[in-house]
Amino acid sequence: MLSAFLSAFRTPDLRKKLLFTVGIIAVYRLGATLPSPGVSYGNVQQCIRTMESGEGNGVFNLLNLFSGGALLSLSVFALGIMPYITASIILQLLTVVIPRLESLRKEGQAGQAKITQYTRYLTLGLGILQASAFVALARSGQLFNGMCQEFPIIPEGTGLPTWLTVTVLVITMTAGTGMVMWLGELITDRGVGNGMSVLIFTSIAARLPSEGWTIKNNKGWAMFGLVLVLVLVVITAVVFIEQAQRRIPVQYAKRMIGRRMYGGTSTYIPLKVNQAGVIPVIFGSSLLYLPSLLLQFFDQNNLNGWQTWVQNHLVQPDSPTYISVYFLLIIFFTYFYVSITFNPTEVADNMKKYGGFVPGIRPGKPTADYLDFILSRITLPGALYLGLISILPNFFFIWLDNQQFQNFPFGGTAVLIMVGVGLETVKQIESQLMQRNYEGFLR
Amino acid sequence: MAEKNRRDEDDNDRLDDETIDDVVDDDADDEADEPVGRGGTATRERTKADSADSRPKTRTEGRVGIFGRLARFFREVVAELRKVIWPTRKELLTYTAVVVVFVAVVLTIVAGLDYAFARAVLWVFGGSS
Repeated sequence: MLSAFLSAFRTPDLRKKLLFTVGIIAVYRLGATLPSPGVSYGNVQQCIRTMESGEGNGVFNLLNLFSGGALLSLSVFALGIMPYITASIILQLLTVVIPRLESLRKEGQAGQAKITQYTRYLTLGLGILQASAFVALARSGQLFNGMCQEFPIIPEGTGLPTWLTVTVLVITMTAGTGMVMWLGELITDRGVGNGMSVLIFTSIAARLPSEGWTIKNNKGWAMFGLVLVLVLVVITAVVFIEQAQRRIPVQYAKRMIGRRMYGGTSTYIPLKVNQAGVIPVIFGSSLLYLPSLLLQFFDQNNLNGWQTWVQNHLVQPDSPTYISVYFLLIIFFTYFYVSITFNPTEVADNMKKYGGFVPGIRPGKPTADYLDFILSRITLPGALYLGLISILPNFFFIWLDNQQFQNFPFGGTAVLIMVGVGLETVKQIESQLMQRNYEGFLR
Repeated sequence: MAEKNRRDEDDNDRLDDETIDDVVDDDADDEADEPVGRGGTATRERTKADSADSRPKTRTEGRVGIFGRLARFFREVVAELRKVIWPTRKELLTYTAVVVVFVAVVLTIVAGLDYAFARAVLWVFGGSS
């Protein structure tokens, strides 16, 4: 399968898709480096240098991970794909609650397009909210934990009124979010892989080298090697579970159409142990980010009762509450996402339509019940695995060193996302290769 | 694969049985066979679990109690896990290698792009303080 990388480039349309994806990634990275108007880039660099020499623990480690370092420099794409993810979680959760959305979802293509439209509007709304929060944060100097007061990120007294600068900043960042959303959809449509996941993957990949470098500098080569080995073990474990399938045999009835005999074949429905992929992890971590975003709206230095509670239990990533809430969220989202993406009734109906049946089970409702039975049983280990993998490495890092824990990219969440997206994308490339090579064979 | 073949053979056997039954034309026998014939893997599992509870079958599931139901659920989970086809060593190694290579390639591309863009942006916007 490694040769797929090479032969992928020999196939013209696949080469085009790959290059297109790389091009989009380049645009994404360019926007992530480009500072927004009104931001003093020199001062930002100065601040980052100050942070790196000191104890680098800003509030934004997780979010910075997802935005690939773009956030600290208040770049055009500083918000990244995060508002879009949050919006799609909210809409998917609302689909269960609001009957109108539910009926839209069942309507098929047109209804789906409507929901996508709502998601986009919500994304822009969330974008404005987050952009204002970050601009306020940057102006008060809290983006760098108040450690960088002498170099204001947004300098004042430049001849332009402050309100204009701030408005332009918020507008730019919101527009950037809209553009990132569009880039993601372009990748899904014309490139390789799922756009949203590919962009998150890119952001994580952008942070890895510098984080690895920090570990090497602080701990030496031995610890660096140990971390690499740990990552490799996690990768193998993730691949192992991702590839595990429960195969449900399906038999197709023979039938005559004209003079030809059709069907009579036996295949299987592959039900993966982890049918949901990496989406639950992404959802869980971005949902858990919301409390710390909420706290940004209040004065950091005198939080009242519940705010301190939130700060201690839901924002600190090494508190037991945070870890258990994260775990439970992942389990919930696994079941939730599986129920959204795999509809047993629909699969059973389709099978019935084409004369397929599971040996020993009647077609129609009993088959749907049977699939549902298996799915709900097989998802439990899948959910537990997702939760454990995203939590266990964090324990390792806590045990290793509390300070080092800030270097999140090597935690389970990031590795899980990387492996998941990698597998998904490579498989898509491979299937398109197969499609091309055996075209004459199939038709 | 092997398991799938075996299951297919089972199916064939069962088909044969039924045809033989039909030839003999023994209705009573047919009916007695039916529940067994209908029991696919999971249904069979379920009936087994039911009988293991040693409760009268007329009672509803709600009477089993929360712990009983939980225990049964976990038994069923383990039973399903046994039927899962795990990747072979070769598959595992290939896929791991592929993922590692893929991540390495993307990492290189992104790192290169970032380096270039950072230099460019610093050249354009940098210097002021």
